[in-house]
Formats: sequence, structure tokens, C-alpha cells
Amino acid sequence: MTHELSFWRKYFFSEDHKVIGMQYIITGLIMAAVGGWLAYVFRYQLAYPGASIPLYGELGPAQFNSFITNHGMIMVLWVAMPLLLSGLGNLLIPLMIGTDDMAFPTVNMISIWIFILSGIILIAAFFVPGGAFGGGWTLYPPLSAGGYRNTNPEFFTALFSGTSLFILAVALEIVAMLMGGINFLVTVINKRAPGMTAFRIPLIIWFICIASLDFMFSVAPLVAGAVMLLFDNILGTGFYDPARGGDPILFQHLFWFFGHPEVYVILLPSIGAVAEVVSVFSRKPLFAYNTIVKLALVSAVLAVIVWAHHQFISGIDPRMATFFSVGTIIISIPFAGIFLSYMATLWGGSIRFTMPMIWALGMIGTFLIGGLTGLFLGSNAWDMFAHDTYFIVAHFHYTLIPVSLYGFFTACYYWFPKFFGIMLSTALGKLHFWLTFVFFTGFAFPLFFFGLKGAQRRVYDFSAFSELMEDPYVLINQVSTICAILLMLSQFIWIYSVVAALRKRKSSDPIGDNPWNANTLEWQAPSPPPHGNFETAPEVFHGPYEYSVPGHETDFHPQNKPIPNS
Amino acid sequence: MEIFPESASSYSSDIDNLFWLIMVFVGIAFVASLIILIYPLIKNHHSKVPRAEYITGNQKKHLKWIVIGMVLMAISDFAILFIEHGTWAKTQEHVPDDVELHVSVIGKQWNWVFIYPGPDKKLNTADDVVVDQLNSELHIPINKNIKVDIKARDVVHSMFVPAFRFKYDAIPGRTVTRWFRATKEGKYDLSCAEICGVLHSNMRNFIVVESQEQYEEFLSNLYQSQ
Ligand SMILES: [Cu+2]
Ligand SMILES: [Cu+2]
Repeated sequence: MTHELSFWRKYFFSEDHKVIGMQYIITGLIMAAVGGWLAYVFRYQLAYPGASIPLYGELGPAQFNSFITNHGMIMVLWVAMPLLLSGLGNLLIPLMIGTDDMAFPTVNMISIWIFILSGIILIAAFFVPGGAFGGGWTLYPPLSAGGYRNTNPEFFTALFSGTSLFILAVALEIVAMLMGGINFLVTVINKRAPGMTAFRIPLIIWFICIASLDFMFSVAPLVAGAVMLLFDNILGTGFYDPARGGDPILFQHLFWFFGHPEVYVILLPSIGAVAEVVSVFSRKPLFAYNTIVKLALVSAVLAVIVWAHHQFISGIDPRMATFFSVGTIIISIPFAGIFLSYMATLWGGSIRFTMPMIWALGMIGTFLIGGLTGLFLGSNAWDMFAHDTYFIVAHFHYTLIPVSLYGFFTACYYWFPKFFGIMLSTALGKLHFWLTFVFFTGFAFPLFFFGLKGAQRRVYDFSAFSELMEDPYVLINQVSTICAILLMLSQFIWIYSVVAALRKRKSSDPIGDNPWNANTLEWQAPSPPPHGNFETAPEVFHGPYEYSVPGHETDFHPQNKPIPNS
Repeated sequence: MEIFPESASSYSSDIDNLFWLIMVFVGIAFVASLIILIYPLIKNHHSKVPRAEYITGNQKKHLKWIVIGMVLMAISDFAILFIEHGTWAKTQEHVPDDVELHVSVIGKQWNWVFIYPGPDKKLNTADDVVVDQLNSELHIPINKNIKVDIKARDVVHSMFVPAFRFKYDAIPGRTVTRWFRATKEGKYDLSCAEICGVLHSNMRNFIVVESQEQYEEFLSNLYQSQ
């Protein structure tokens, strides 16, 4: 595998898992910029209704709706998923299980290009007549199924409408992710280095596999639902039209059957990275590693039977809602176990506040608020009031931002030296972390109060709602908007620090292959790892978290070296 | 400062109390977690503790701490569920028998349509009165049970009355029957909480809670205008 590859084969149509992982991450970051831009525009409108928005102009209600819709869908499917699942999965799986590449490298290459195509289609929808879809990222019909009726059945107009393109983009994104998920599972099952038994696999790899399983299990109904929705739009079928025997609630079930597990799909890789980092920088084994894996499996099962907590007041039988309420709230039990194990890892450790560790601790602390506010929303009686208000908006930003932003940066600051052979600056890193932390809190925390006052989401202009236009609610919206903008601007510090590190790469001293003194296999490969990863195929002798084993000089033991008897 | 909207229905205080009750559990869990998280960060900084203890956490004596945490979480969970279920059952599972007024509230793009029963006091009969106007008001008597049939004509809407802590989706093809009892006279927002198209945020009607006499006067005027 050492023959020279052409430029195109090396950087564009590469089959190397590391290049594909980077392609996913870069695409995810570009989409994050798009999603962030949309957020900037509609948050500005919310803070200063009717004002002309700098760099954009005036925002009408139809654009407002399509901006919030696309912001939601982009941040979940085109940012969180490629960064955390596909990005980390591709970069890390072969290296951490000690193999040269994915099981199906060509499928992997096709998956990234389908993913890129799906993103292009999503953005193209902004430029078709009628503009991008604006019925909420949840795509509830009949609002999302009116294409056929609205276009006075004209097949091609219906096909190239904002709604159809949105559905098509989602379907393609799912195809790409399915190809990735199959690849992850087959690779982990078949290509582990000799000696890499189930409970010697690093937790993040376990979590990526569980996430892939949850994704593949839950996504099929959504695909079926999306196809029916597309047919309703372009062929004039009536799957969701009650006048013709269809049922709009059917789509809600199919959507949330996927939509809820989707949270775990991005959560698990993220807290997997946090686990690796917490153990390495406490210099201590990950507390109750085997138990964590089992708890994650339990939560993954629970995750697929609680979807209707999004529908407590959407036409399901109230007695059924009770079942979903119980299921939802008891998910807190395995997660309490997982997060307590993380915290227990710190106890008795020798803690190093490196950049990855700071992000990981920030992730745990911030996610606590997101996770615990889930207990309010899980109880259906309170949800009757809070459903579709800003309380929910604040809650899911408090889960998704720690997961996708903090979790991604935990991983980035930790593995960057592996893939680029140089560390990111700690001084800039601290500035980046604290600004992100402060502005995120300033953006999301006040929104809980806006929701508690009864502000419903997806409202273009609150001017007519007198109670919500009094102090402090006007101020709350302005603070939230300003902090959201500053939060986005703070990310340029990170971009600058990455660029600065890459430019210094040639001139600075080599940092070695294992700068953090970590056990897992990726740190035993060269930095950056060449095509094929390892110079000699590694063999695994023990688990990944053998830190500070008594009776030894060093406090770490790479998985590919036996621990000598002392 | 009041963090909730005005409270004007027989169960709005139940729902507010539920918030504070869950807040107690969540608050304790949050503070306890932060202490468990931050304490070792101060005590076990590598400058003070150069070498970590080797604890895998797999032994019973260590694992028990995780189990205790999970049991406490489970107790909180079931306490919350037990208490909140009472409110849920009361608001959702039964409609009281003694109903003063039975109305239809129908979502359409973009306002709420009200259908009052006619002089025969029965809904869904020929003499029903339809009010279909932008920003119109639904008049109801105070301290009486009101039964609402929630429906939608075009897309999904959601009937939201923050002051009553009441919300329910209006779904095309279905009729969902729920109830409330207003306890304070006044004019309250009836907005839409589910995105329903371009002018979703313009969907804003009102519920006017008035005394029995005023309400009856309103009704007779309504019937006369027919
Ligand atoms: Cu959910
Ligand atoms: Cu609406």
C-alpha cells in the first residue's frame, strides 16, 4: 500500500479512513458555518424585530421559518453527525482497534461523497422558486405534504420545490450515514488486532458502535416515512392526508422513532471522547469501565422506546403517554451511573488540567444542566405547559451544544497532535474555552426563563404578545442574541489556533508519537499515522485503562506492550 | 418578579407546583453532582497528588457508590412520576361531568375558529354559531368547567393558553376533547404553539373569562346577531 497516489486520489477520492474522517469533519464545519449564519440572522430578528440585519437586510416571516427549520436540521444531521459519529468514527476506529483501514474502504469513500451531495442539495433548496422548506425541522405533515396541492399538480415543480429537496437531502444524508454505520460495525467486529477482546476495546469505540446500532435500528421507519412524504408531495398520494384516509400522526411516530435515538447517536461518541480524556488526565483507570458499557447498552435500548415523549399532547392516548413518561424519566438512571463513573474516575486521580481535560470537564458540567432539565420535560403533566416553548429550546441547546461543541473540542484538542504531529496552543485554548463557556451560558440560560413565561417557539415576532415584550423579556432576547453571536465569533480563536499550529508544523520540535502518555493503540502509531497506520501490526495484551498500576516506574502501559510482572 | 405567566385556571397552580417539586430533586442532584465533580479537581491536582491510586472500580466496594447514585436517581424519578401523574390524570384522562359550555376550537391558517352551541345548548347541531375572525375572543364563564373539542382544518396547530397552563395539538382528521376551568376574570392569550406556515406567529386569539351574567349576555347578543 505504499505506491504513490495521485493528488485527487490522495485528498479527494481517498479510501484512507483518516482522509475520509477529515473530509467529514471539514464538511461538518462548513455546514456549521451555514447553520450558524442562519442562527445569527433569525436570532437578530428575535432580539430586534423588524430591524435591518447587518450583512443580511430584512428578514420576512417565510424566510424566518425556513431559517429556523434549516438551522435545526443542519446542526443535527449535517454538523453533529459528521463531526462526532462519522468524523471521530472514521479517524479513530481503525487506529484504536489496531488495524490498517476500514473493512469497506470504497463504501466509505462513496459515503462521504453522498454526504457532501446531500449537503449541496439542502443548500440548493434555498435558491429554488418558493425558497427552502420552512415547516420546522420535524417536517410535520400536512404542512410538509402540501407540495402537490400547492403546485397544482406539476411533477417537476413539485420535485424541485424546497420541501421535496429538503426531504431528498435528508434521505441521502441517511444513506451516507448508513454506509458509514455498516462499515464501523463490520470493522470493529472483524478487524480488531489480535488480543483486542471485547472488554479491551476503548470506550469511545464501544460507544460509536452502540450509536451506530441505535442509528441503524431507528432510521428505517424514518426513511419509509420520508419516502411517503415525498410521494405525497410529488405524486399526490395521501399517506398523511386525513381526507383520503391518511394520518398526520403516523409521520410524527416515524419521525420521533428516529428522532429520539438520534440524540444518543451523537451523544455517545461525544461522551466516549470525554471518557478517554478523563481517564488519561486523571492518570487512573476509567472507573467501572465494564459497567459503563452495560449501562450504555441499557440506555440505548431505552432510547428506542421513548420516542412519543415528543407527542404527549399530540393526539396519543393519555394513558399511553404515561408509559412514555416513565420510560423517558428512567433513562436518567443508567446515565446517572455513567456520569457518576466518570466523576469517580477523578477521585484519587492525579489530575492534569490540559486543554482536552478542561473541555471534557466543561462538557460534563454543562451537560448536567441539559440532562437534568430533561426530567422536567419527561414528566408529561409539566410538558403540557412547556412543550414547544423556549424551555425546550434552552433544554436541547443545553444537551446538544455540550455534546457536539464541547465533545468535539475535547476530541479535537486531544487527538490533534496525533493527526498533525503538533499540539494546539494551550493559551489560545483556554481563551477559546472560557469565551465559549461564558457566551454559551449567556445565550442559552436566559431562554429557560423566556420559556417559563410561556413563550412558544418558532415565532417570528413577539411584538404582539404584550407579556413577552415587557422587561426583562426583551432584554433576555437581546442578551441571548448577543451572546449567541459572540459564541460564534469565539470559534475563530480555535480556527486561528489550528491554522497557526499547522503553519508551525515543519519548524517546531517533534512532540513524539505519544505526547499524553496514553495507553490506547492510536498513540503507539506514528504521528501523523501513514497510510496503513501501523509500521508493524500491533498485538494487544491488556485493557485500555491501565494507568498508575502499582509497582511500576511508569504510570501508563500501552495496550500493545505486556505489563511486566513486578 | 413572577417567572410564570398569570395563573388563571383550576390546575395552573398544580402545574407550577410540579415545576418547583421537580426543581427540588433536580437542584439537589445538580449541586451534589457539581460537588462530586469539583471536589477531586481541587484535592487531586497533580501538584499535590503526583501519582494516582489504582482503582478500577470493578470491585463491589467501589461499585457500590455508583449503585447508590443510581438508586437515589431512581427514587427521585419515581417520586416525580408518582406526583406528576396525578396532575396528568386529572387534566388529561377524564373530562368532568358537570360541563357548563362545550365548544369547538378549530385551528386554521391563521386564526382560531370558535363554534358555540346554539340556543339548544348542544354542540354539533344545526343552530351552532361559528365565529371565524382574526384575533377574535372566546368567551367563557368563570369557575365553570369548559369542554373543548380541538380540531384543525388544514395543518397541525396547537392550542396554547399559557395562563391556563393548557396546551393541546389541533390535528387534521381528529377531534380531541379536553377541559379547563378558569378561576380568574380577564383576557388571556390563546396562541398557536405548533409551526403552521408563514403567519404562524400571527395566530393570536383570546379567551375572555367573565362572570356568568356577562357571559350569558354575550351569548344572547351572539344569538341575536345570527
Ligand atoms: Cu426524545
Ligand atoms: Cu401555528
